[in-house]
Amino acid sequence: MAADKSKKAKVAELGAEGEPETVDGELVLSIEKLQEIQEELEKINEEASEKVFEVEQKYNEVRRPVYVKRGDIIKNIPDFWLTAFLSHPALGDLLSEKDQEVFKFMQSIEVEDFKDVKMGYSITFNFTENPYFEDTKLTKSYAFADEGTTNISGTKIRWKQGMDLLANGNVQETKGSKRPFVEESFFSWFNENLQENLSGVMDEVAEIIKEDLWPNPLKYFNNEIDEDDFDGEDDEEETDEDGEEDDDDDED
Amino acid sequence: MQKGLATRMTVADKGKKSKFEEEGTDHIDGELVVSIEKLQDIQDEIEKVNEEASDKVLEVEQKYNEIRRPIYSRRNEIILSIPDFWLTAFLSHPVIADLITEEDQKILKYLISLNVEDFKDVKSGYSITFNFSPNPYFEDSSLTKTYSFFDEGITNITGTTIEWKEGMNVANGGVHEKERGKRPFSEESFFSWFSETQQKNLAEGFSDEVAEILKEDLWPNPLRYFNNKGSDFDNEDESGGDEDGEADGT
Repeated sequence: MAADKSKKAKVAELGAEGEPETVDGELVLSIEKLQEIQEELEKINEEASEKVFEVEQKYNEVRRPVYVKRGDIIKNIPDFWLTAFLSHPALGDLLSEKDQEVFKFMQSIEVEDFKDVKMGYSITFNFTENPYFEDTKLTKSYAFADEGTTNISGTKIRWKQGMDLLANGNVQETKGSKRPFVEESFFSWFNENLQENLSGVMDEVAEIIKEDLWPNPLKYFNNEIDEDDFDGEDDEEETDEDGEEDDDDDED
Repeated sequence: MQKGLATRMTVADKGKKSKFEEEGTDHIDGELVVSIEKLQDIQDEIEKVNEEASDKVLEVEQKYNEIRRPIYSRRNEIILSIPDFWLTAFLSHPVIADLITEEDQKILKYLISLNVEDFKDVKSGYSITFNFSPNPYFEDSSLTKTYSFFDEGITNITGTTIEWKEGMNVANGGVHEKERGKRPFSEESFFSWFSETQQKNLAEGFSDEVAEILKEDLWPNPLRYFNNKGSDFDNEDESGGDEDGEADGT
């Protein structure tokens, strides 16, 4: 390109003569000034990031005791997390029939940021004693390193004899089909340690649990209840009080 | 409301087929109802805290946007004294370079500045503006593409309808036909980006790679790309060019 070639030529001239032509000198100066501005911007961006983290950290601390209080209340609602999980449009689909049986032993889900928010977080499924595995806690952790990489680690599940849902074809029940079809178990999620990509896109399950289910599981828990109630046509059970689907009577 | 909740709970009990069937006493239902109400209260509390947190984060971002604004202005002025700065930076960016045709390059020589600006409240959108000096290609002195984010993930995209001068419309093959003659279909011009205002796929969410690159990559630090190109030229020049790519002649 013409302009660049002339730029090149001018710079060469500068070297030869050793004395800055006004235009050359200006160009050099401009680029140096630009470099300084970029450094100034970078400092500001770092400051902004720091301030944002400070806010997030502060509010994490504010939320922590509230989540603890919430956990206590939830203990009085049987099958709360199970129901909420199953009612979530995306999460519910991830549980195979066998998974659902295992999940009946799931007591609670906990999402916890590392002390330093920037460093990462973990998602833990708490289980009571059950016939499937020895563990009472299954955790998956995401640790963010400086260079933008994420270190992912998940509990290595200690399956009881013959109960390993991840071993091909073992306990997977196919609904009467003769095909050796193995339904993917949700529990394989704990083994998935591959980073999705370096720009920080994590697996969807983690994102959904952390950003959607954890902040407000009641929304999904209630969904299920309302569905049974208002979903007139599908409901074989008596819903005497409402009678909304019963058009024989008076008004709507 | 409490009664309604109790009714719903009874239905849910049947639906869930869980421990309730064994313990379906009024006493337990009552406790359950109270627990769920307490839970709702806590959720309301959490929501308030979350909203407060979001507001505070937004405040920080707005504050730093204001701090950056005059710096970007100063930067623009300095860039005016560096010929073809933005063009060079574009051509050095691996993705953007591929989108620029030879004809586009001629037009971009008239590009004097780029401006990326968030809306005042940061979250509702931003615009990307290309400012041009008077040129033989179009009447406009600036071409802008604007992105407005609404609730429920809806994005409204608008772009300047370029007022091409006669026979100069590269986006629709005008000049290409003149130059290449027989080819009916020419390479897509970068400038067609300004008329791409359809949101590709609502389900996938907002995606405009060029916008993202300009806003998140080139705009924050174009010098990084400019220098890349600068150093390429220096390396090509065997007769006394700098190796470390700095454009000083020492």
